[in-house]
Amino acid sequence: MTLLRVENVSKSFGGLKAVDQVSLELRKGEILGIIGPNGAGKTTLFSIIAGSMPASAGAVFLGERRLSGLRANGVVAAGVVRTHQIVRPFTNLTVLENVTVGAMFGSPSTRRNPRARAHEELAFVGLAERAHHLPAGLTLVARKRLELARALATGPKVLLLDEVIAGVNPVEAIEMTKLIRVIRDQRGISIIMIEHILAALMSVSDRVVVLDYGKKIAEGKPAEVVRDAKVITAYLGEEHAKSNGGIRGPAAENSP
Amino acid sequence: MSTWRQFIPEWLSPAVLAVFVAAAAVLHALPYVVALSPYDHNQLTLAFLFIATALAWNWIGGFAGQISFGHAAMFGVGGFAAARALQMQVAPFWVPWLLGGLVAGAYGLAWGHPTLRLRGPYFSIATIGVGEATRLVLTYWQGFTGGASGLALPINAQLKYSLYWYALYFLALVAIASYAIRNSRLGLGLLSIKSDVEAAADVGVPVVFCQDLVLFLSGAVVGVAGGIYASYFSFIEPSDMFGFDRSISFVLMAVIGGVGTVFGPGLGAVVFVLLRQFLIASYPQLYLGLYGLLLVLVVLFEPLGISGLIFRVARRLRPHRGAT
Repeated sequence: MTLLRVENVSKSFGGLKAVDQVSLELRKGEILGIIGPNGAGKTTLFSIIAGSMPASAGAVFLGERRLSGLRANGVVAAGVVRTHQIVRPFTNLTVLENVTVGAMFGSPSTRRNPRARAHEELAFVGLAERAHHLPAGLTLVARKRLELARALATGPKVLLLDEVIAGVNPVEAIEMTKLIRVIRDQRGISIIMIEHILAALMSVSDRVVVLDYGKKIAEGKPAEVVRDAKVITAYLGEEHAKSNGGIRGPAAENSP
Repeated sequence: MSTWRQFIPEWLSPAVLAVFVAAAAVLHALPYVVALSPYDHNQLTLAFLFIATALAWNWIGGFAGQISFGHAAMFGVGGFAAARALQMQVAPFWVPWLLGGLVAGAYGLAWGHPTLRLRGPYFSIATIGVGEATRLVLTYWQGFTGGASGLALPINAQLKYSLYWYALYFLALVAIASYAIRNSRLGLGLLSIKSDVEAAADVGVPVVFCQDLVLFLSGAVVGVAGGIYASYFSFIEPSDMFGFDRSISFVLMAVIGGVGTVFGPGLGAVVFVLLRQFLIASYPQLYLGLYGLLLVLVVLFEPLGISGLIFRVARRLRPHRGAT
């Protein structure tokens, strides 16, 4: 069953087409990965889905409900929330208050008893003992978990994760990957995730969409997508595409 | 949990409540106990009004982080709306004050809705423009404001004397409101907006609504203060109400006391009122310069003003408690 539908969405900044006629579908209970080289338009697409910026053309639907035209807070109330690639905690609020903001202003059904909910979410992501600290005192991975807890506290149906694994060490990356699976399996939240670290993304995604220069160039099961000639060209150049059979994890990690 | 505790909200600490009630009771009884000189009566009444305006300025300037240099516009619009209504003498005198507050709040909303999407210095510059435009237009709009010669108001000496208590009760309401806003959903939303407006929107904070609402409330309170202020002098004129130094004074009180803290701006207002009298009397040529110096010292050494100093001392005394 399709939960979230992106229909022919485009976004232009002056002459640059950051997102060009992209369509995709997220099924209920699915983890959909989005990959693509730097500047492919991944984060811009997230900003459009989340209502942070308007699309130049096209529309986004959650079930039958049209999200395009809603402000970001309306999109959150409908049940779609994003995290940020570069974490953006509220630095003047404690970790607990950060998450409480999400619980207070999230989807209407979750607004009761926001502080208790915030405590639950902190425990869920493993930050319970940091509740009364300020975000400035947290490590990068902890701040990523905070970003995640704050988004989860809004009670989403769809979670948009923008590089929550990038920048953390391999052990932490495995932990984070587990956490993402738990969010889907135990809480039934459908997920779209952008990730540069292909190995991590491939292991957790049900399906993968590849963007390049704002266009969708491939879509399918992770194993199929990495063998797609267009994808290899986008990541490694044409020479590579002719000479061998796919992107392997470690090589992909170092690619642009 | 003891039984009485459940009758006050969770966020209201008993210590704050006790200090609050004690202060209100002492100030309420003061004129009965001590024969206040007209000068003291005047100073205290004005102090109540300015503490209230500083607290209300802080809702938008401190909680939401949108520094307004245009609050004199609401002070004056509220004052003149109240003055015109008072002149009609058809309702008890507090009705015109409320009316003035509503008009001032609506005026704040009218210019705030389009300008609040600006942030930081850009919003501040816009508020300077609003404040000055309002001053000029209302100075020339003789039919409403009486022009430069102002309006006389029908306030007798007895009512003037009782304004002490009206100003005090008004302040009490505003202080409670400050505390409630800081601890409410609106307050948390505003603090998140202050920190990162886009991240706040992305977790569902209705940025436009929160900012509009708080500017309306802040403007309404400052407008009511304008009405009481005009009533106290039985006279109102544009240059006093709308002057740029009026707007600056609201900012100064908050900065001296501690921008963004709940009660700091009130402390700042007390210091401001006392200092102004002292400086005007002793160093009339230098007093604005000394204000400037004070401001520089605060910003350089203790950005949270008096509140910052208090927090420091508190931390010294109780080193194991968490941060503020």
